[in-house]
Amino acid sequence: MSCPGFGEVRIPSSRAFWDDCEEDEFESIEPAPKSQLKFMDGTDETPFASDLLVLLEGPFVTEFSRGALLDDAKLICEIPAKSSTLHWNASKGQLIATLEEDLTSSGEITELLIPYAQLAKRVLTITIKPKVDYKSEEIDRYCEYVAIVHSIGGKGDDKTLSELEAPNFIAGVAAGIASWRNQMELPVSSYVIYTDKLPLDVIAAQPVLKLLQKMGVPCIERYLPPAKDSSYLYM
Amino acid sequence: MEQAAEYNFSKMLYLKNKATKLDVANYTVIIPSICVGNAAQLACDLLIASKKLKRIGNLSHSALIPVYGPSAYQHEPNEFVSSCELYESVEDKLLVIQFRTPLIARHTKTFQINLVELLQAARRVIILSGSFGFERRFIDDSPWAYRASDNFKAAHAAQLDGKTSLVKWKEHTGEHIFGGGNALQLFQAFKEKQVPVMLLFRYLLEGDNSTDASLIVRELNELCEDFLQLHDGGDGSFKLTVPKSWNLLFGNEVTELLF
Repeated sequence: MSCPGFGEVRIPSSRAFWDDCEEDEFESIEPAPKSQLKFMDGTDETPFASDLLVLLEGPFVTEFSRGALLDDAKLICEIPAKSSTLHWNASKGQLIATLEEDLTSSGEITELLIPYAQLAKRVLTITIKPKVDYKSEEIDRYCEYVAIVHSIGGKGDDKTLSELEAPNFIAGVAAGIASWRNQMELPVSSYVIYTDKLPLDVIAAQPVLKLLQKMGVPCIERYLPPAKDSSYLYM
Repeated sequence: MEQAAEYNFSKMLYLKNKATKLDVANYTVIIPSICVGNAAQLACDLLIASKKLKRIGNLSHSALIPVYGPSAYQHEPNEFVSSCELYESVEDKLLVIQFRTPLIARHTKTFQINLVELLQAARRVIILSGSFGFERRFIDDSPWAYRASDNFKAAHAAQLDGKTSLVKWKEHTGEHIFGGGNALQLFQAFKEKQVPVMLLFRYLLEGDNSTDASLIVRELNELCEDFLQLHDGGDGSFKLTVPKSWNLLFGNEVTELLF
């Protein structure tokens, strides 16, 4: 439907479908096969109970998670959204879902993780978003903040944090699980961290680590991102 | 396929009163499609906020991107937004469905099947939508167009029938409504199940579509004042309430640091 040629009118695509389907293509779209969790060899595929289910979601979050909080945890399964994973920390009784932001499959993945959320005593969700997504009538107040941290709904364990206000919201698997626990009247603590650096670096990671520690999730004191061979600096 | 639809249907509905079925007998159901300018969703926002409709539950499905956050409306401050919300007015026998996310195309057909199953006992279903303004080929044409099933037309003959009709909308006959999302497919799905259904849309362009939203509500009120009950005094005017989720609709103020 669009005309990408130079000088031609570019007709906007439809808003209706997140995965860029147009109204005249919709009829020919085939229903998708159901996604599955990809369990590691020898791992029990039956959902099991945990003291705490942690869902950490955001762009480039796998790298942070691997370096900061998965040292004592065992990989249970891969989650079919980019490089997302589910780990089990047996000593603490904690399940840790690290979720790379992938909104297209977030509804499906929420359905796959609901059995774990149903059996967990407590659920903690942390969504990491870029600071530019944060809306406030006093946005100038936050211009020098490394991170803006809010709880969602005021039911969180950390009462020092202020509640997120409309029109802000979170989207994705963490949102789906928090919404499900809330409607089932089960306890859930939800937080959102708007950060000015993604992927997280040493400084931007501090508010995330601080929140995890406060919530009783074992993690390192200081996160150092892995060194990369490539850079944006051209010599 | 039948089994799969039933399985999803039972999973997708959550009602606050813990009922497992949604009773929509004798109800008018309003559904927005996710369309150009999000005008239909904005219109539903206005309806819910203005009539102070009560949240009765949610729908979830893999076709919907999950969302969670503070309440979108002043009159229900303790609620949380979700991807598909159900609002009701018992007195007016009105159910409004509000979507807060775009759809995932590959799951939309199963979602539609489930949605039609859920609402097929309704007295009538009205789907609101929008289409790209440049799709209106003749400048003198009405900016409104509609599609209605035969049983809907029969029930609303005074408003829709030919020369004497109350509303001046054009009947749409095309195969697509560009910019209208899944509105037409949803309309066909309800029609196939013999549910009285009308699809009403406005030709509009992306931008500040809050005016389009209030025009949609006003136009709908012309057709169905009996259930919308949006009248104030005797002069035919009515007051709409803007929900708080419309704050900063176009983002933050430009920061002073830029200058």
